Amino acid sequence: MRILSSIRTIAAWEMKRSVTMMGRHVLPLAVGLLVLLMLVTSFAAQSGIHMQDGMYRIGIDDPGVARVIAPDSRFTITIADVPTLREDRFAYDIIILRGEVYAADTDKGRAALKSLERDYEVYVSHVAAGEPDLFAAYPLWIDLEYVKSEIDFVATESGQQVGAVVDTRDPPIPSGPVEAVTHPPSAMPISEDDLREHLAGSGSDHPLSRYTGILSGSSSVYDLKTPSQLSPPLPFDSIILIFIFIFPLYFTSQFFMMSVMNERVGRAGEALLSAPVRPSAIIIGKVLPYFALMLIISTAITLIIGAPIGILVPLIPVILFFLASALIIGMAARSFKELSFISIFFSTLATAYLFFPTVFANTHVISIVSPLTLVVLELQGDGFTALEYLYSTALFFATSFILFYAGTVNYREERLFSTKNLISRFADFISGGIMRDHPHASLFALALLSIPFVFMVQMMALVLFFNIPMPLSLALLVITAAFIEEFAKSLGLYAIARERPGFLTLKNLIIAASVIGLGFLIGEKLLLFATLAQISESIFGSALFLSLGLLWMPLLLHIAGVLITGGFILFGGRRAYVPGIIVASVVHSLYNLYFILGGLL
Amino acid sequence: MSVRRIGLVAKKEIFGLSAEKTIIFAILLQVFIAMFSSFLMVGLTTMYDPEALEGYSTVTYGIGYAGADSPLIDSFRKRDDLVLYRMDLDQALATLRERKVAAVVFVPDTPPDAEGPVTVTLYLIKNDIQSSIINVKLKEVLQDYERELREVRADRMTSFPVYLNFPEAGGAENFFEFVYGLLIPMLVFLPAIISSALIIDLITEEYQRKTLETLISTPVTFTEMIWGKITACAVLVPVQAGAWLFLLGANGIAVRGAVAIILHASVGGLFLILLGALVALHYRERTSAQFIFSTALVVVFLFVMAVPYNPLNLMVRLAVDTAGPIHWLILLLVAGVTALSGWFVTVYARRVGEAGAA
Repeated sequence: MRILSSIRTIAAWEMKRSVTMMGRHVLPLAVGLLVLLMLVTSFAAQSGIHMQDGMYRIGIDDPGVARVIAPDSRFTITIADVPTLREDRFAYDIIILRGEVYAADTDKGRAALKSLERDYEVYVSHVAAGEPDLFAAYPLWIDLEYVKSEIDFVATESGQQVGAVVDTRDPPIPSGPVEAVTHPPSAMPISEDDLREHLAGSGSDHPLSRYTGILSGSSSVYDLKTPSQLSPPLPFDSIILIFIFIFPLYFTSQFFMMSVMNERVGRAGEALLSAPVRPSAIIIGKVLPYFALMLIISTAITLIIGAPIGILVPLIPVILFFLASALIIGMAARSFKELSFISIFFSTLATAYLFFPTVFANTHVISIVSPLTLVVLELQGDGFTALEYLYSTALFFATSFILFYAGTVNYREERLFSTKNLISRFADFISGGIMRDHPHASLFALALLSIPFVFMVQMMALVLFFNIPMPLSLALLVITAAFIEEFAKSLGLYAIARERPGFLTLKNLIIAASVIGLGFLIGEKLLLFATLAQISESIFGSALFLSLGLLWMPLLLHIAGVLITGGFILFGGRRAYVPGIIVASVVHSLYNLYFILGGLL
Repeated sequence: MSVRRIGLVAKKEIFGLSAEKTIIFAILLQVFIAMFSSFLMVGLTTMYDPEALEGYSTVTYGIGYAGADSPLIDSFRKRDDLVLYRMDLDQALATLRERKVAAVVFVPDTPPDAEGPVTVTLYLIKNDIQSSIINVKLKEVLQDYERELREVRADRMTSFPVYLNFPEAGGAENFFEFVYGLLIPMLVFLPAIISSALIIDLITEEYQRKTLETLISTPVTFTEMIWGKITACAVLVPVQAGAWLFLLGANGIAVRGAVAIILHASVGGLFLILLGALVALHYRERTSAQFIFSTALVVVFLFVMAVPYNPLNLMVRLAVDTAGPIHWLILLLVAGVTALSGWFVTVYARRVGEAGAA
């Protein structure tokens, strides 16, 4: 009960503090800037974006043709007679003589030609749209229908092509059941006036305009298109989700990061620390207002874009993850500039982790690694199952809670106000979790808890190497995975050797290696069976999480890895740590390679 | 103000940056981005121009064709990257679901010269990169068909567009417009944004850590200290912008007018840094200052982009060698605005410094 009331007090205090600080000075200017932003937006909408003005030079002999191209500001137009243009043809990227287009044989010339062709298409469409007989001008309409087809992650094994490869003249025959389909009607289901309006409305030709249309939903109302309106359905479109959901969340988590940092600046948080409240109450109390705010922001965005409210469910672990990382970064950074750089670095990593898998939404099981994929699925109206939710969010929940735990354990005076450099601070954080009386139990727990992070980094590597050709990607993955695992396993040992140099005897090292190896193995198996069974069944999976069947072999490997690193530290001192990890990773990779090659041959 | 003391403060700040190894994070970040470069290149280019996707595929795709005969069949036969299979619609859709064909086309038996339109139904696999490629390829075939139908119905038309005959495009897609028209100005201006965020950190830190008293007790005046920090941040802009341009050059992307581009970036960057310094001096607290500054940054950028001959556009023009001498005039103009804000920062800093000393 007491802890609840102290949480409430701290949350109220945190809220009051930020509201008064923001209210008095920031809000008036923020409102002013918002008004200014609206003014500037309308100005930009009128004036257009002048980023690529005058990129290309074009020479034309006919003012009529020049009028066609004039609306495109990318072209600087020169009108001259034919002989002059012929003479200066090298000064232009394109010349048009008597209706014939000539482009320079350079990258620039070809790019200019492409842009010109698009402009011409728009112009021709524009002329055709004014015709009294619409179906003479637009005789062909395309009705787009999408068919759902999921492929197995296993399908890309050994470089097999996912798409249909065809050599034969005979039509392919379906192996599964054939459903009877009614032929689509040949009559036009939409009135001529509606079509005309639709044509007039879609006159935008700027490459970036497609992204503004995704959210308003205007593009999806009409499935009927003219051939020139056909625009590929891009999986990359989900990047817009990053902009509308992830950036505001990330931005809000910055305020929390700053609030944590402010406690440390000039020892401002000392009073709170000496008050009779537990660190966990302080942290929960501080984080609650921001969590609520982020939830409110996401709900507001969801309601504004008219998306199903269910997309909030996969966003919750993302919010937690951002807040947990903000806590650790706020506790670790020594100065504001360090805070800025680390948080920019972290946000790039997190954005990449969240975004890249969504590119493969509907295509690959791997996409489920990111909770954002669930958002994409929910937006499409496909929804997701509880199992998929568990798959994609388990790592986020696990890492968030572990980070919060690490923050709570280290929310102490000597950690918060220390001025050591970043790496030793992180090492301090880790040794903060090691109990003096039970170092081996702590090492076991540490190895167990490091698993979600290891998986996360390995998933990142998997996504990263996914588009590299097959044998290379596998080799890279094996090496990276081995290195990440050895690094994670050695962390606890390194922290202990740093704090208590006397601890590392041969006997203790062997015990420590055994418990770390065991903890690592148990954590690996637990998480693997619980969540990632699908990915682990593919060849990439076996590179990451080898040999589910045999248990004693990987156990020995994990122990051997720690022994190698630990041995280097024991005999070579802490300087030998990095070479130790490298040797251990090499051994680990060789073991993995041997088993994978054995499995393939 | 003494230039020597400003230089001293600037040196101290730059030294502090490298001592804290924060620079290492910046470098790590750039390496990380570079690691993704192949993905980014393909991804971002196709985001910018979806039809660029076509260039990546060398595979022959099977297309299921159902319904009535049409000139489409001939158009398909002419292409060597698409193979047409005549089949029933339900058979075709089943094979599409199993990914044995890449798309299915259904053509109704509407005659070419009919009163109404010909409505072709196109079945694709939902939200798939392959569908995007197929979509681009089919677009070309369908546009041919549209042209043919327009010719058949030409006597019903009343006006005719100016005719242009385009040469056969090489087909090979290039990144030109994306790289020169978007990537280069973005990359070159990124350091300016980072530096202007940095100046806020540097100034607010002195306030929040209450280290100002120590600094003021040295012969360095408050204004000199602020200008020292500004100098440190401003020096980083051309260095980083130059590094980007050098890296682009090493990747075979030749950028003309590099010196002029860096000049524009430095002057524009200095303006943003001064803006950041002003916000930081006003709020003296990082959270508020960063919040207001990032909002102001959006406003400034949107405004600048909407003005013809803006510095970003000039960078594009310089990079592709179409700038002309007018860019020196703009540079002078931007430099003037920057000098004005520099003067304003000096006055404001002096006032703040005197108020602090009193």
